[in-house]
Amino acid sequence: MAEANTITHDVIIVGAGLAGSWAAMTAAQKGVKDIGVLSKLHPLRSHSGAAQGGIAAALNNVRPVPDTGPRGPLEQIPPGDEPVDSWELHMFDTIKGSDWLGDQDKIEVLVKEAIDILYEYEHMGCVFSRTPDGRIAQRRFGGHSAPRANYAADWTGHVLLHTIHEQALRHGVKFYSEWYLLDLIVEDNVCRGVVAMNILDGSIHTLRAKAVMFATGGYGRAFKITSNAFANTGDGVAMAYRAGVPLMDMEFVQFHPTGIYRHGILMSEACRGEGGYLTNSEGERFMERYAPEKMELAPRDLVSRSEQTEIDEGRGIGPDKQGIYLDLRHLGREKILNRLPQVREIAIDFTGTDPIDNPVPIQPTAHYSMGGIPTTVNGQVIADAEGTPLTGFFAAGEVACVSVHGANRLGSNSLLEASVFGRRAGNAIAQFIQDGAELQPINGDPAQKNRQRIQAHLDRSGPELVDEIAQELKETMTNKCGIFRNEAKLQEAVSKIQELKERLKTAKIMDKSSRFNTDLLAGLETEHLVTFSEVVVAGALARTESRGAHARTDYPERDDENWLKHTVAHKGEDGPSFSYKEVNIDWDRYPPQKRQY
Amino acid sequence: MNKKFEMATVRVQRFNPDTDKKPYLQEFQVSTEGDPTLLDALQQIKSTTDGSVTFRRSCRHAICGSCAMNVNGRNILVCHEPLKKHLDGGGRVTIRPLPYLPIIKDLVVDRTSFWKQYLLIKPWLVPPDDVPEKEFRMTPQEVEDLNSAEHCIMCGACYSACTVVGMTKEYIGPHALLKEFMRVMDPRDTIPEQRLETVGGSNGVARCHTVFNCIDACPKHLDPTKAIETLRRLYGKRQALEEERKKRQETL
Repeated sequence: MAEANTITHDVIIVGAGLAGSWAAMTAAQKGVKDIGVLSKLHPLRSHSGAAQGGIAAALNNVRPVPDTGPRGPLEQIPPGDEPVDSWELHMFDTIKGSDWLGDQDKIEVLVKEAIDILYEYEHMGCVFSRTPDGRIAQRRFGGHSAPRANYAADWTGHVLLHTIHEQALRHGVKFYSEWYLLDLIVEDNVCRGVVAMNILDGSIHTLRAKAVMFATGGYGRAFKITSNAFANTGDGVAMAYRAGVPLMDMEFVQFHPTGIYRHGILMSEACRGEGGYLTNSEGERFMERYAPEKMELAPRDLVSRSEQTEIDEGRGIGPDKQGIYLDLRHLGREKILNRLPQVREIAIDFTGTDPIDNPVPIQPTAHYSMGGIPTTVNGQVIADAEGTPLTGFFAAGEVACVSVHGANRLGSNSLLEASVFGRRAGNAIAQFIQDGAELQPINGDPAQKNRQRIQAHLDRSGPELVDEIAQELKETMTNKCGIFRNEAKLQEAVSKIQELKERLKTAKIMDKSSRFNTDLLAGLETEHLVTFSEVVVAGALARTESRGAHARTDYPERDDENWLKHTVAHKGEDGPSFSYKEVNIDWDRYPPQKRQY
Repeated sequence: MNKKFEMATVRVQRFNPDTDKKPYLQEFQVSTEGDPTLLDALQQIKSTTDGSVTFRRSCRHAICGSCAMNVNGRNILVCHEPLKKHLDGGGRVTIRPLPYLPIIKDLVVDRTSFWKQYLLIKPWLVPPDDVPEKEFRMTPQEVEDLNSAEHCIMCGACYSACTVVGMTKEYIGPHALLKEFMRVMDPRDTIPEQRLETVGGSNGVARCHTVFNCIDACPKHLDPTKAIETLRRLYGKRQALEEERKKRQETL
């Protein structure tokens, strides 16, 4: 092995958003001294920071003002008064939101630890909005039956990310900013390290570690209209899959109901949590027809489908009738300025519309990846449907599939998941190291192998450019594997992806230099998009039912008899093969029910 | 806003230190159809014309802080500004890297000094050893007194607009001073005196020339100058503040 280019740490964490930074800080607190965190961005640029509306936990700080109905004002709960919320209620809401595909034992961990992790954030300096008596402020969110989205104006993810990054620095964690992951090294079901490129100079290194964790985020960039950052190209899922790790429930992709029209940029669910309306071209609050009780605060899958139905039936707004209006005017100037300052600016910047004066054009946007690398409740990656651990390999956050979100995630549960399971992974990693884990030998020279692979990429002569492939893929995923799916569309997507895979093999990367080559990164990222999209589409084609975010027009009903199970995709010679894993259900407490809102 | 151009001329400052002797401007023609942002324009150039044009970007809506650049002489985030707004009478816009920093490649600058100062001021809260069972009771007024400093995205637009930074990288800089203000003002922090001593030295608040460039540059409408003024005022009463803080924490 070329030792000169080898870096060694006890622990390597890839990704520096909430999950990665929580794991790093927690392991450091537990006494693990030698932790390296790689990020393809500066850590503070991570996409966790883009989350806006809140982080769920049943803190019981506020309640609806009595007798004002489900959309009335909120007030702080006077000391000594009865609580309105509980972890049990949060648990049921999450199970129902998941359309019963979330593992109930894991959801229980999530909602119980939610309370404690919120206070930990607060103690570490997170600047939350406050109730008049100084408690953390809470608002309503879709699919939650109590106001439990704890918030900092509408930049909640931003303050959480900065807080946890600062504390990780305080505990001596070493960050490698702008390093790009190239390979995961797994031999004999033991993870031994990774290969990564220092983007600054293009140098490629083997990084050996006793434990490796992926916290690389989601895969929303495979869609044309998405709320996701440029960075969210599913690098971690694709790389794990390539290394033989299975992927779970990849067909479940969440479309958020309020992306900015034509841009997809997020207008927080807090807009509806604070009381915003959705209206169609006739000025109707159409959610009356789809979720008469919850209205705009139904879960995201349901609201997005309702919007798409309105659009498909000709009641959309905008020049191409592909939009819907988000109307905040009745909230009033003061509430918009205090509670939704960021989304107001976004609306003005991207649509020229001030929500104080006019409704904002929006449309559903690919937002969150429910699927990912299967893990235990402690972030331990599992290698198969039977639950065999992949030694030394951990994952948490959007890259992972625990699964707590099942077929559809509730808003404000993702910041929570990244935090709770990031912390748990940090604890598990510390235990693993302190139980005597050792560096494992590596066969051959993976860095050199990757140098050759990268050179082959740079040598491709075209004439097609990588971006043409990426654009066609995104069109395909949005049009054929979007909110509404059916067999014919998915079959088309399958063949299109095969074609794109072939074309990508010769597509040209224009920048040939070694210094800060983001064109090369785009080439690698496009390869990842194609790799996992194949799994998303194949999983969607196989699952002949509708559940949560996966809506098949040819199989419109949920089919618990045949499909109350997790999809586990394994890489094969000719595309993915599937096995299926049982969902953990407490049949006494939370048996599957019809899901209505 | 200039609406008449179907094509815009985007002049991008290019520089690869490995191959170029000095920076130069290169012109690209970009379609204005669909009202692209400045970032969309750069992305269009990169993906269809010249993939070697290099810049940082990620979130696309002014929250990640990656894409601060100098556009027609002003530091802005290119992701949330329309291209047309920045075209001159000839349909041209000029994009350069943030000033006062070494160039890594094209529009990507070396922010080592920026992050060094960020670390110097200890950006993390140092909370009391004993924490309550639930949250600290920080009042809405105490949150408001932070003046939204927690919304700072560390984009560096202020830092690279500051003439003092232009003269010396030893200056702590508006970004780090704003962060330190936020910590000093936070009733949960236990070391305000130490923080004020850090920023009260010769490379701290005393160096600010009150030119207000940082305020003009901030895409989040924050006010580093006012924060620096506050730190300057509190420096004189830092011991009293520390005592006051201890008392506040008894009821926090």
